[in-house]
Amino acid sequence: MAFIESLTVADLAVALFFLGLYGAMTQRNIIKTIMSVGIMDVAAITFFMMVNHQSGARPPVSGAHPSEMADPLPQALMITAIVIGVSVVAMCLAMYMRVAYRYGTADWKILIRRLEK
Amino acid sequence: MEVVGSLAPGGPFWIPLHGIVLLPVIAAALAFAFPRAWYQNILLGANGVLTLVAVLLFRQVRWGGSVVQSLAGWHIPVAITLRADQLSTPWVLLTAVFFTGAFLFSTRGTYRDKTFLFLFMVLEAAILGIFLSGDIFNIYVLMELGMLSIAILIMYKQEKQAVYDAMLYLMMNFIAMAFMLLGIGYLYRLTGVLDLQEIHLRLMDLDDPRAGLVPYALIMTAVALKSALLPLFGWLPRAHGAASAPAIVSAVLSGVQVKAGVYLLVRLGQVFQPLVEAELFFMVLGFLTSTAGFLLAIAQKDIKLILAYHTVSQVGLIVMGLNMGSQTAFWGGMYHMINHALFKGVLFLTAGIIIEEYGTRSYAEIRGVFRRMPALGIATIAGVLGITGAPFFNGSISKYFIHQGLQGSPAELGLYLINFGTILSFVKYSTILLGPPPATPPSPRDPYVATVSLLFGGACLAGGLFGSAAVELFFGPLIPAGGALAPEKIALFAATLVLALLTYRFLVCRMGEVLQAVRIFKFSFNQVTVFMTLFFAALLGYAYLVA
Repeated sequence: MAFIESLTVADLAVALFFLGLYGAMTQRNIIKTIMSVGIMDVAAITFFMMVNHQSGARPPVSGAHPSEMADPLPQALMITAIVIGVSVVAMCLAMYMRVAYRYGTADWKILIRRLEK
Repeated sequence: MEVVGSLAPGGPFWIPLHGIVLLPVIAAALAFAFPRAWYQNILLGANGVLTLVAVLLFRQVRWGGSVVQSLAGWHIPVAITLRADQLSTPWVLLTAVFFTGAFLFSTRGTYRDKTFLFLFMVLEAAILGIFLSGDIFNIYVLMELGMLSIAILIMYKQEKQAVYDAMLYLMMNFIAMAFMLLGIGYLYRLTGVLDLQEIHLRLMDLDDPRAGLVPYALIMTAVALKSALLPLFGWLPRAHGAASAPAIVSAVLSGVQVKAGVYLLVRLGQVFQPLVEAELFFMVLGFLTSTAGFLLAIAQKDIKLILAYHTVSQVGLIVMGLNMGSQTAFWGGMYHMINHALFKGVLFLTAGIIIEEYGTRSYAEIRGVFRRMPALGIATIAGVLGITGAPFFNGSISKYFIHQGLQGSPAELGLYLINFGTILSFVKYSTILLGPPPATPPSPRDPYVATVSLLFGGACLAGGLFGSAAVELFFGPLIPAGGALAPEKIALFAATLVLALLTYRFLVCRMGEVLQAVRIFKFSFNQVTVFMTLFFAALLGYAYLVA
């Protein structure tokens, strides 16, 4: 139990990242690989959010003492990363739709075989 | 090796650097209301201005010291910085010139609607930003931006399997970018800054230097994918040789965009320099990449794919030169990057026009290019002579410098092998020039296409005739290149050429089935991801061994 209690959110985010990587390595279904890649991205973002995390910190707006302010940089940066991640996943899905209509499959291996014809 | 292009800030520079990055996007967005023909000319004009600014910036940095600017007036380690130094300004200049050439080249192109042009300008801004940024998170964002616009550009005509190619490209690069984001997170946790120079300083003061190895491996895996090193190059032929990508897109991707990856390999490698010395790792990897690249190039039938796999091979050679640990070879590798942009640019541009003219991409069905389109034929020959390292052409100079770095060690044999492979695959490519042209009447000549092709081809020759001077102009160090024209070098080139001709005639032409098997074989998305994981594990293990 001590092991589980010592885990931080950052550790879990790293585990989630490699879980996503495992999905991208093993899943033959295109939708599932897109989901896996999305999970990797979200895990990296979660990890970044937890950098310099201190419990009890206050939002960096006026009124708080600088020593108890949370580090604003990860949040500012991760807004950008989230937006990028959403647009890339959306684009992957849009491309998948074109491919699926055209070749009638959601499987990477069958897709390669049909492409060669 | 000393850190190159480090940051002794020079005098102030009156043009804001972020203006250089924003100019293409702002021009493209503001002028979007104009009709297509105007839009095209406005963007060409914007590129002309950009080239002028790049020349000024280059002059300032080359003779006045590097330019460092912080955005929004914060002080340096906290602010987002833009830096132009000896290492980056040659590429800014090259990018601006290259895009101007591409715009001029396709003045009469039919596929260029306004959305295409807009995305093309966004790509230019992203590439310029990568070269000028001094902030690792900005580099990440700009890489994503470039990746998105490339994915749309390569499937623009939506022919055949274009959407599949683009999807594979996008997903592979997206995984790489997730690696990079996690790596940046680790770096930020360790150092608390995002500025490259400040990260470099703080990494040296770490209590436990090994803590820096995980972010190193994560970031370098992403950058190695961007620069198409051995197990990770699967996306490159799909993107650069994509059936539906217009000629200028292929040329820009191969000429400039891959160079951004190699540039980051150098720049970010230097950030981690005291911690990890992975030169041997990347040198061996460069050699393997180069060998695999030309072997696959020989197997291809599609002329664009021959060129695309050849880019892989040349990038391997460049990475080899950059990581040999010798100054001469390092600058040789840098110069080869410029040279590769020139000759691969001209080859992709002409290949695009040749494919349009003949209506096929198979090298066996294209004959008589030289007689049908003399200007393009001459430009192609200049490109081929440049890439094979023929005497008097630019490739010979940079390859000579890279050879110098390995003088006397058994690895020099590897370079001879690569050179032989290059010549062999271009013997195959050159067969399209000869023979009788088809009987159909040729389409009307396009003066812009011919001019730009010949200019790039002429630059290949000029880069060879004035090799030493060009290296000094672009990078600073004065390295004598007279040895590249020594009789034994010329004799060696001639002997390799004869050997390649014989090998092609009596071996390659009779191995149809083997080549067919190599050509058909493709890695699926899952396998590519496995390679990426293995690459990450190998790099991390190697970093722990040497650190």
